[in-house]
Amino acid sequence: MPTDVTTVEVDPVAAADKAEPTFAEKFWKVFRGHPAALAGLIGITVFVLLAIFAPLIAPQDPYDQTQLDILDGLLPPGSQLWDGTPSLLGTDALGRDILSAVLYGLRISLFVALVAVIVGSAIGVFMGLLAAMKGGWVETVIMRTVDLKMSFPGILLALMVLAIFGTGIDKVIIALIIGAWASEARLVRAVALSELKKEYVDAARLAGLSDWRIMGRFLFPNSISPVLVVLPMSISGAIGAEATLSFLGVGVPITEPSLGLLIANGNDYILSGKWWISIFPGLVLVAMVLCINVVADRLRDHANPYLRGKD
Amino acid sequence: MTEQLIQVDDLTIAYPMADGEVFRAIDKFSMRVNRGQIVGVVGESGAGKSTIGKATLGLLDENAVIDTGGVSLDNVMVTKLEEHAFANIRGNRVGYIYQNPMTALNPVLTIGEQIIEAIEANTDKRGSAARAYAIELLRQAEVPQPEDRLSKYPHQLSGGLCQRIVFAIAISAKPDLIIADEPTTALDVTVQKAVLDTLVKLTRQENIAIILITHDMGVVAEMCDYVYVLRHGKLVEEGPTAQVLKEPTQPYSRELMAAIPRIDHKVDRFAVPGGLGKAEDRKRAIDYLMSRRADAGKEGEPLLSVRNLSKTFSSKATALKASSDFKAVSDVSFDVFPGETMGIVGESGSGKSTVGRMILGLHTPDPGYEITYRGRNIIDLKSKAEKLAHRQSLQCIFQDPYSSLNPRMTAGDNITYALRAHGTLGREEARKLSGDLMELVGLPRASARKMPHAFSGGERQRIGIARALSFRPDFIFCDEPTSALDVTVQAELLNLMKDLQDQLGLTLLFVSHDLAVVRQMCDRVMVMKAGEVVEAGACDKVLVDPDHPYTQGLLAAMPRFRPEVGHLAMNLRQIPSVHKETQCRNPTASDVLSISRRSRQ
Amino acid sequence: MLNFITRRLGQSAVLVLVMSALVFVGMYVISDPVAVLAGEDFTEADRQALAAELGVDRPLIVQYFNFLGNVIRGDFGSSFVYNRPVMDLILEKLPATLEVAFLAMFIGLVVGIPLGVYSGLNQKKPATKTISFATTVGYSIPNFWQGVLLIMLFAVWLQILPASGRGDTVEVFGVGWSMFSLNGLSHMILPALNLAIYTICLQARLARSGTQEVMYQDFMTFARAKGISRERIVRRHLVRNILIPIVTITGLQLGGLIAFATVTETVFSWPGIGKLLLDSIHNSDRPVVVAYLILITLMFVTINFIVDVTYALLDPRIRYT
Repeated sequence: MPTDVTTVEVDPVAAADKAEPTFAEKFWKVFRGHPAALAGLIGITVFVLLAIFAPLIAPQDPYDQTQLDILDGLLPPGSQLWDGTPSLLGTDALGRDILSAVLYGLRISLFVALVAVIVGSAIGVFMGLLAAMKGGWVETVIMRTVDLKMSFPGILLALMVLAIFGTGIDKVIIALIIGAWASEARLVRAVALSELKKEYVDAARLAGLSDWRIMGRFLFPNSISPVLVVLPMSISGAIGAEATLSFLGVGVPITEPSLGLLIANGNDYILSGKWWISIFPGLVLVAMVLCINVVADRLRDHANPYLRGKD
Repeated sequence: MTEQLIQVDDLTIAYPMADGEVFRAIDKFSMRVNRGQIVGVVGESGAGKSTIGKATLGLLDENAVIDTGGVSLDNVMVTKLEEHAFANIRGNRVGYIYQNPMTALNPVLTIGEQIIEAIEANTDKRGSAARAYAIELLRQAEVPQPEDRLSKYPHQLSGGLCQRIVFAIAISAKPDLIIADEPTTALDVTVQKAVLDTLVKLTRQENIAIILITHDMGVVAEMCDYVYVLRHGKLVEEGPTAQVLKEPTQPYSRELMAAIPRIDHKVDRFAVPGGLGKAEDRKRAIDYLMSRRADAGKEGEPLLSVRNLSKTFSSKATALKASSDFKAVSDVSFDVFPGETMGIVGESGSGKSTVGRMILGLHTPDPGYEITYRGRNIIDLKSKAEKLAHRQSLQCIFQDPYSSLNPRMTAGDNITYALRAHGTLGREEARKLSGDLMELVGLPRASARKMPHAFSGGERQRIGIARALSFRPDFIFCDEPTSALDVTVQAELLNLMKDLQDQLGLTLLFVSHDLAVVRQMCDRVMVMKAGEVVEAGACDKVLVDPDHPYTQGLLAAMPRFRPEVGHLAMNLRQIPSVHKETQCRNPTASDVLSISRRSRQ
Repeated sequence: MLNFITRRLGQSAVLVLVMSALVFVGMYVISDPVAVLAGEDFTEADRQALAAELGVDRPLIVQYFNFLGNVIRGDFGSSFVYNRPVMDLILEKLPATLEVAFLAMFIGLVVGIPLGVYSGLNQKKPATKTISFATTVGYSIPNFWQGVLLIMLFAVWLQILPASGRGDTVEVFGVGWSMFSLNGLSHMILPALNLAIYTICLQARLARSGTQEVMYQDFMTFARAKGISRERIVRRHLVRNILIPIVTITGLQLGGLIAFATVTETVFSWPGIGKLLLDSIHNSDRPVVVAYLILITLMFVTINFIVDVTYALLDPRIRYT
C-alpha cells in the first residue's frame, strides 16, 4: 500500500511532546529487574538511618566512660549488663556494649567517608575542568601533580600523611581527600577534553561567552556523569580505607572508635575464642560496603553503552 | 543462467524494547537474488537494510526475534539454522563486507593473520599454500606490494586499502554471494570509485552475486541490476534499477529521487514537502533579524576578504610522540560578496573546514594573513565590545547534529542562552525570541522546552540554525551542515537555508565534500586539495567544465545519479584500474592525474 | 623507541627525586628523633651531643643533600631502633614480602582472568551470576577483616593452617625463602590467599568488562562472518585485545599488592617490609620510613616503565618515537 509521505514523516510536534521522563521514572529504569541492586539500595537506606539515629537506638553511650563497668567485660552475645541492660551482641574488654559501639562506629565511618569523598570529588572535578579548559602551564602543573599522586598506592600515601600529621578524625579525612581527588581530576579532564572538541563548545565561543561560563554551563554538566557513576564506589572505597587505617592504629582515636578500630580491638581476642568483639563490627562494615558496591555496579553497568539493553 | 540463489519471504525481524514495546526492524519483506546478479537494497537510516544482511549470515543481535518468514540460500532456510551450522555458510558460501573497513579488521592482529585464518577456515589450503593464496587474493584485490602488506597492521594502511583487504577475505572461498553493507560510505569519492571497480571486477570473474546495501542512489545507479527501496523496515518499491530511478511509482520513492542533489543542473528548490511555522511568528522573527542589517555593505564591495591564510598544526612532543608539523592550509586568498554563497569543496583532510574555522576565530592562522570584514581588518578591532560584536556577526552551522547542541540545556536555552548571559535580552524576551526562531526554522514553538535528545538529526540542525540566527549575523559558515543527514532530510534543510538566505540576505560560506550539494547551493566555488586551492570560479563553470585535472578527477569519480540515461553499468571494463594507494588517505596528484586521464579517454 | 626510553627514564628520575624530597621533608616534621632516643636521665648537653651525632642539628636543606648523597652510595643511614643499617634491614625483610606478593599475583591472574572471560562470554548463564556476585562480595570485604576471618576459619576453628609467622625458611642465594619448605609454604598460604582474593576479584571484573566491550566491536562480528571457529575467535581476536588493559592493571596491581602487604603482614605477623614500615611509623624510626618510601617509589617507577614497554609490544597501534 502506498504510504502518504507527509503523514508518515515523524511529526515534529509529536516527537517533541514525548514527555521528558521524571526522576522517579529514570530511577525505576535503572533498578527494575535487578533485585540485588534494589536490596542494596534498601540496605544503604537502613544503614544511613541507623547511623543518624544511633543515639536514640543504642542501649548505651559507648563514649561515656562513666557508663562502662569493667565487670561487664567480655560478655558473650545475649548476656545482660550489670545494670540489667540486655547486651544483644556481647561486650568488649572494657565492658562496652558491642551493639552500641557498632551503631556509633557506623556513624563515624559513614561521616568520615562521605565528607572525604564529597570534598575530594569536588576538588578533583574542579581541577580536572580547570586543566582541560585552561591548558598550558595550569594543565601541566595539575596533571603532573596527579601523576605524582597516582604513581603511589593510596594506602601508603595515607600512611605517610598520618605519619606526618598524626592521627585523628580530621587527619584521616585529610588523608582520604588527598587520596581521592587525583583520580577524579584525571577522569573529569579526559571527559572534558573530549567535550571541548564538540561543536556546541565552538558555538558557545562564537557567542562570545567567557571561559568560566563555558566551564560552568557547558563543560561541567556534560562531564560530571562519569564522576557520579563512580561516586558510590569511591564512598565504599573510603569506608574500607578508613577502617584499614584505624585497624593499623593510625586512624581515628580509641575514644571515638570507628568500625575498623572496633575490629582491631577484637583482633587480640580472636585466638582466645572471643569472636564476637571483632566479628559483629566486621559484618556491619562488609554489609554496608557490599550494599554500596552492588548499587555502584548497577549504576556503572547502566552507564555502559555496551551493556545497555543487553541485560 | 538466471538460477535463483537467495529467496527472502515475508521476513519480519523484531526487537523487544526496554519499555515492553516491540520494534520491527524488518516488516514482511520479500526479495529474490539470482546467481551473479547485483541487487541493491536502498533506504535511509532506520530502514532496516543491514538487518537483512545480518539475518542471512545468522549475525543478528541476541535479542532479535524472527517473527515470520525467513531467508533461503539455495532452498535451505538459513534463518532456522543453529549457530554451528553457519560454519559452512559464513565465509564459505556467503562473504560479508562491512561498512567501516577500519573497524572490521582486528587492530592488534596483522593483515596476514586475518586473511590466512579465513583461508584456512574455508578452503583446504594450509601453511605456505594459504600464504601464497593470500598474496594471490591481495593481488586480485589490487593491493600494491601484497607480500609486504601481510606483516602490516590495519592502522598502518589507508581506509581504501583496508577495504580491499576485506574484499580479499570475502572472496577467499569463492562464495556464491557477497553481502556488501555500505562498503564505501567511509571512503572519499575518488577512493570509492576505484574500490567499487575492484569489487565488481572480482565478483564478475567468479559470477558471484552481490547484495549491495546502501543509502547512496548514485552508487546504486552505477552498479545494480535490480533494486529494492525500503522505508521503516517495509518494502516501498522494487524493480530494475533504471525503472525505479527513472519512473518511481510510489510517493516515497518519488520524493527520494527528487531529494537527490544533481550535479548536472541546478534547481531552485528540491521537490520535497517541508513544513513552515506559523506565519505571524515567522514575521516577528524576520523583523527582529532584519532590524540590525542596515549596513550589510556596499554593492560590489566584498563583505569578507581573506588574504594569505595559512595554518600549521604542530603537535607538541609528548612522552609518546616527537613533535611534528602538519600544514593544513597554505596561502589561501578569496573574497566573499554580500548575499552570495561561496562554496569550498574537497576531500577529507583538504583543509576546507579549517579555512572557515580560522575566519570565525576558532583557530588562529599562521602570521602574515589578513582578514577584512565589512571593510575593516579584524586585527584593528581593539575594544571588548567591538570584538564581541564582530564575533557574533559571524556564525556557524555545524556538521554533527548530535554534538552541536548542549545536551544539558533545552532547545530554547541553546538558542538564546548567550544573549541572556550577555544581558542583551531579558528572560521573557529571550523566551519569545527562541519561540519565534523555532517557528522560523519550521519547528513548533512549544518544543523549545524540550531537551536536544528529543529531536531528530534534521530537527537539531534546524535548532542550530536558529541559534546562529539569534545573533543577527551577516555571515554564516556552513560546515558540511547536511553530511550526517538522510537525503530527504538534507533536501528539506537545504530548502530552508535557501529560503532564509533569500529573505534575510545572508552571506554564506558553504563547505562540503559533495559536489552535487555545492552545485545546488553555491554561486561560486573553490576546490581545495591538501590545503591549497586548486581551482576557483563560478559553479556553472568549475563543476561543469573544470580546468584543473584534480577537479576533473573528482567529477569523474563521482557516482552519477542519472535516471534519464537509464542504468549505466560502470564502465570499468574500459578502465585498466591500477589505482595506487599510499599510506596517506588522500590520492596523490599522480593518482588524480591518472584518473582524469582515464576518464577522458 | 630508544628516544622514548631515555625520555621516560628522565621523567622517572625526576619523579623519584620529587618524591624523596617530599618524603624527607614530611618525615622531618613528624617527630624529633632526639626525643625518641634520649633516655630519661639525659641532660641538655647530652641531647645536643646526640643531635649532632645524628646530624639533625643542621639546616633541613643541608640534611637533605647529605642524605641524597648517601642514598646515591646506597646508604640510607641506620635505624634508630634496631641500630643497624636500614638497607640491610630492608633487604633482609624484602624476600618475605616479595614471595607472598608474587604468589598472590600468580593465583590472582590464573584464577581471575578465566573467570572474567567466561562470565563476559556467557552473560546469561547462572554460573555468571554466581561469579559476578562472588567477585562483588570479595571486592567488598576489607583486606584486613578478610585476614581476620581466614585466621578464625583455618587457624582457630579448623586448626589446619598456622595463623602467624614465616615458618621454616630455606637459604637460596643467601636469602631465606619460605616457599621452599613445606612448613614455610603452609605459613604462606593464608597471607597469600588474603592478598590474592582481592586480585582475583579485580582481574575477573576487568576481564569481564573487557570481554563485554570487545565482543560488540565490528571486527568480532566480521570474524564470525569470515566463518572461523568460535574457539579461535575467543583465543586470538578476543584475548589479544583484552590483554592490553589487563597488562596495565597487572603492573599497577603488583605495586598495590606490595603496598597492601603492610596490612596483610600486620594481620598475619608476617615479617616483611610492610610490617617493618608500620612498626617504624609507630616507633618514629625515621630512616626506615624514608628509605622504605623511596625504595617503593623506585619500584613503582620501574614497574610502570616495564608496563609501558609491554603495552607497546602488545598494541601495534602504539609506537613510541
